[in-house]
Amino acid sequence: MKSIVLSSVVMALLVFSGCSSKEPVVDIKAQETQSEGVQEVEAVEAVETETVSVEDSMVESQTNTKSMSEIENKLSAIYFAFDKFNIDASMKEQITVAAAISKGDASSYTLKLEGNCDEWGSDEYNFALGLKRADAVKKSLVAEGVDSSRISMVSYGESNPVCSDKTQECWSKNRRVNFKLLP
Amino acid sequence: MKVLFFIFMLVSLLFANDATIQVIKKVDSLPSIAVEDASINYDDTFRTRFFKSLIADLNVISIFNVDRHHRVTHYNAANVLVENKDMDYVLRYSMSENDDGELKITIKLINSNEEVFSKTYKVSKKNIYMFISHAISYDVNEYMGESSVEWMKRKVIFSRIVSPHESEIVIADYTLSYQHVIIKGGFNVFPKWANRSQDAFYYTALDASSPTLKHVDISTSKVTNVISSDGMMVCSDVSDDGKTLLLTMAKEGQPDIYTYSTLTQTYKRETFYAGIDVNAQFMNRDTIVFVSSRLGYPNIFSKKLNTNEIEQRVYYGRSNSACSAYGEYIVYKARETSNAFSDNTFNLHLISTKTDFIRRLTAVGINEFPRFSKDGDAIIFIKNYKSQSSIGIIRLNHNKNYLFPLKYGKLQSMDW
Repeated sequence: MKSIVLSSVVMALLVFSGCSSKEPVVDIKAQETQSEGVQEVEAVEAVETETVSVEDSMVESQTNTKSMSEIENKLSAIYFAFDKFNIDASMKEQITVAAAISKGDASSYTLKLEGNCDEWGSDEYNFALGLKRADAVKKSLVAEGVDSSRISMVSYGESNPVCSDKTQECWSKNRRVNFKLLP
Repeated sequence: MKVLFFIFMLVSLLFANDATIQVIKKVDSLPSIAVEDASINYDDTFRTRFFKSLIADLNVISIFNVDRHHRVTHYNAANVLVENKDMDYVLRYSMSENDDGELKITIKLINSNEEVFSKTYKVSKKNIYMFISHAISYDVNEYMGESSVEWMKRKVIFSRIVSPHESEIVIADYTLSYQHVIIKGGFNVFPKWANRSQDAFYYTALDASSPTLKHVDISTSKVTNVISSDGMMVCSDVSDDGKTLLLTMAKEGQPDIYTYSTLTQTYKRETFYAGIDVNAQFMNRDTIVFVSSRLGYPNIFSKKLNTNEIEQRVYYGRSNSACSAYGEYIVYKARETSNAFSDNTFNLHLISTKTDFIRRLTAVGINEFPRFSKDGDAIIFIKNYKSQSSIGIIRLNHNKNYLFPLKYGKLQSMDW
């Protein structure tokens, strides 16, 4: 058992020396039960730590990273009204710009749309609201001629705020869809 | 006459346990209990810590008026302390440390100077003393013949947002005094126990190329990818036998509810509405409740699996965006204020599908993510109030709420 633990720790060190800190670490503690005479005793945790690496590693070339972030900076976020997922008329122009960039400079990348919400609720409904926002942006981009197979989506609900003040301005900044480029 | 009396008793029994009926005042009739510390080892700090944990647990079982004075005595003293002579019950305990550093606790429950119950507990390290405290309270509750508080011994699993795009998944006791971070790094949310024995769990990894449901076996530390979906992936509920999962997935960008068989590893779409359908929970083996925007605002509906029968379940509140079910009971989160410009209040409400009663369970702050205990005795929920994130426990039949604050981070979701 010790050798397994040791080897897994060594493996973990090898793996983590080459990975970013974003890799999830699974820390497992086994449960053990003891007994004392006739009395029942409680379940407890023991002291064993193993590390498991995860498969999704991102490898980008240096030149791509730079140009990607430059293009990304030109794609400004699309903002939404409270509890809504339809695109406001004031945001149409930004969609048109984003569609033009997607078909132009960014045509060799895939596009990831990240839906976000304000802080009112961590439940699934809020995640779904973020997703419907991303989906509304996707549909608008497709209507402007962007190939739908190049677009993926994710919702972060309220878990990825750009602003954490308790103000109206701050909440409205969090109700947004961000554009990310993937190679 | 006998028949009439029998019918009367039957009707009384039928309504006696309706959890939507609120118990207003019961405190005066509760028996009193005091706790006497007869520990051999350990310093005052640790002794006080254990005492406080035990007092808190005895309060949560809600069957005693608990005396809060920390008094010291000898374990084998013939009489209870003079200050406690009017108490209905005295719980005396002794903590000792053996050569291996194990913490051993012996207890006896005294009623009218007679020992009526005794037991010994042992854990490998003193820093997990809270599990003994929970076990003692559980056993005292059992001895008193009250409805089971099995949930007290269960573990809570929750995700905590530590910074934007980064979270931890933590296993804790129900008071959060024991916490073990089991997954660290990355953006992982919606943990859910995979079975009743709590030796495995599911969670959603948002860092993968598309949101992915993962399964972690705690005993072997094996992590398996279960299923992925573009846009959204949540394991909302697991059937009692662990064989069927209720998922929210968003194939084609459309959040809908799916059932997933862990045996055949196949899924089936259960809802087809073009808006939002999420948060499915088993009411029983064949029926689920879920949140849907099909009326233009989020509300609670039920569906019989394998049929197209969908029924609106809640008729109060204009924005009900989370729910949990146990038998005939549904607890749901309702937005009490609808303000884009200032703080909003979200409260939990309890309804029975067999009566028209609605019971409001919380009063202030954002109360969300309600989950029934496996035995339906209690509801656990997340409370966010004035920048503080807490886990709350509602004892339905005792009309009591307890809050256990989180030291840092914000609770995203949890299960127990």
